[in-house]
Amino acid sequence: MFSIPVFLESFWPLFWAARYTVLISVLGIALGLVIGTLICAARLSPYRWLHRFAALWVSFLRGVPLLVQLLVFYYALPVIGLDVPALAAAVITVGVCASAYISEIWRGAIAALPKGQAEAAVAIGMTPRDVWARIILPQAFTLSLPALVNELILLVKASSLVSVVGILEITRASQAQAATTFRPLEVYIAAACCYLLLNLCLAALGRYLEHRTAV
Amino acid sequence: MLAASSVEIRKVNKHFGPFHALKDVDLVIEPGKVNCLIGPSGSGKSTLLRCINFLEEYDSGEIRIDGQLIGYEAPGKKMSGRRLREMRRSIGMVFQQFNLWPHMTARENVAEGLIRVRGMSKSEAHERAAEALTKVGLADRMTNHPARLSGGQQQRVAIARAIAMEPRLMLFDEPTSALDPELVGEVLNVMKTLAGEGMTMVVVTHEMGFAAHVADKVAFMEKGELVSVDIPDRILHHPEDARIQSFLRTYHERNNF
Amino acid sequence: MDWSILQQYGPALLKGFGNTVLCWLLGTVFGMALGLVIALLQRYGSRWLNWIIQVYIEVIRGTPFLVQLFVLYYGGPLIGLRLDALPAGLLGLTIYGSPYFAEIFRSGFRGVPHGQIEAARAIGMSEPAIVRRILLPLGLVSSLPALVNFSIILTKETVILSIITVPELMYQVQRMSTETFRYVEANLVLALFFWALVEAISRVGRRLETHVTKHLIERT
Repeated sequence: MFSIPVFLESFWPLFWAARYTVLISVLGIALGLVIGTLICAARLSPYRWLHRFAALWVSFLRGVPLLVQLLVFYYALPVIGLDVPALAAAVITVGVCASAYISEIWRGAIAALPKGQAEAAVAIGMTPRDVWARIILPQAFTLSLPALVNELILLVKASSLVSVVGILEITRASQAQAATTFRPLEVYIAAACCYLLLNLCLAALGRYLEHRTAV
Repeated sequence: MLAASSVEIRKVNKHFGPFHALKDVDLVIEPGKVNCLIGPSGSGKSTLLRCINFLEEYDSGEIRIDGQLIGYEAPGKKMSGRRLREMRRSIGMVFQQFNLWPHMTARENVAEGLIRVRGMSKSEAHERAAEALTKVGLADRMTNHPARLSGGQQQRVAIARAIAMEPRLMLFDEPTSALDPELVGEVLNVMKTLAGEGMTMVVVTHEMGFAAHVADKVAFMEKGELVSVDIPDRILHHPEDARIQSFLRTYHERNNF
Repeated sequence: MDWSILQQYGPALLKGFGNTVLCWLLGTVFGMALGLVIALLQRYGSRWLNWIIQVYIEVIRGTPFLVQLFVLYYGGPLIGLRLDALPAGLLGLTIYGSPYFAEIFRSGFRGVPHGQIEAARAIGMSEPAIVRRILLPLGLVSSLPALVNFSIILTKETVILSIITVPELMYQVQRMSTETFRYVEANLVLALFFWALVEAISRVGRRLETHVTKHLIERT
């Protein structure tokens, strides 16, 4: 039967392990933002080969399961001479994967801006650089905030997969605990609760940001 | 001659939250007569019309079709869905936005109700639908989907959909307001024919010409109140009430722009 | 690439591929069916039921698929739910997909203009007939792009089933790579395979979309 004391006791180690979940998700989204912005710029650039490369990047990373990407990175990095710790491999994988989605979020937000916005700026004689820096990007960022928070929630969940390369985040910690206590039901439900808690907080943050930036 | 219904509206009230949309409205529509509802936007005329087939629930008062209360068994006790559907069968309605079903052809749109509600066979329903579409002048458009029809044609299909059910009462909710000006005439002509056949019609409209020439009675509403009901000439050409005068003045100014 | 390896592991890989497709197809179909039921219950159910459904949706969407599988597969036996890996994986995929599908259907239904439902009510159509003849066909058409999109996401989620030892493609590839030490090649090939699969499905999806919407788009 379901034992509530076992359930409650399994929380503490999981909370402690959650720092890796948070670390990987936050670093992952930061890396994803950097690469994703570059990829989006490449995608919108007039150079054909840059554009093609960006399209391929997005299509490949969105087409391949994260778990497979993770193992490719984990095993391939040492082969090309990069002996990085598992944690770095995890952050890189998560970040690179996120970059594809973030680039699409940017692109969608920019496309969603009414054409008249840029036209109005051009009409009063702004330079292309100013049009982007002053008119398009600030609005696109505001528009894409909810989607970015959503992406972060997805990363928190996706970070459970890095348990397979041995990082002691929530999922891995729960596996270890299930193995020692023989109470997988309580332990895994506790793990689920940890994720739920994290994501509910993030969702609340998202709603707050959306509300605050609403025009 | 069609069998035609009478409508009696007695002391009808309707609230949307704190907003009092209909205030003690009284109106009697005799069988076979055409009644136009006019007034500024937000005056409650569409709401009143939608109460007649209970798409909008009124809070108090009575609406009777041929003496039968619609929507309620008794004051405060809602009618069963089944009874309501039975009553709605004999009330046709035409909407401002046509509301044709985009995944069906013109003929399928008309036949749908005949099959699902009247229980006709598909072939019989399609035959009946073809007749109705011919009547509104769309015999050559039967297999077109709504997206391939002009607004005027879509609205005529919507009228055909309603009359195919052989209603005894037709409700029109601003049937020409969403149309380009050059398409208004074809729809009004179909409505005029229908009126000539002795259908009871209630028409919410901004077409004063139609009201003047086709209506038996014109009712003017403002701020949820029914201000006055009379023959078209007395409402449209010799109004006594200052509110009607001011409404018509605005209307004419806009049209003479 | 060493072809003798393929010869040795070919049958296992093929079987794994079969299981992947099976999991994806059944998971999508069952998940969609459950999602549709949820969306209809949300539309027509009582307030209480709606509240329960909302909690279900939040819980499933707020937790990782892998953890859900662990609860089901390793935790299930403690409450008498003993399933083999494959059925557990299928059940897991169905449950995991259902709230996403439900949300897709729900917004598809919301996209059906209210006037078209009212028009059906005005001629006296019953609610079940309205659902069958108006709401479902129109709602499904407008949900189609999102449905295809999510079923593609599910293809990718099937690899997670390997972690609870469902013998699908990923599982077979991992077994092969640990036995042959060809980790990089095996995973790269797997990556390319999924890429091709996902591209193919989305292409079919776009075809389907133009097909079902051809009457709904105004052509001038």
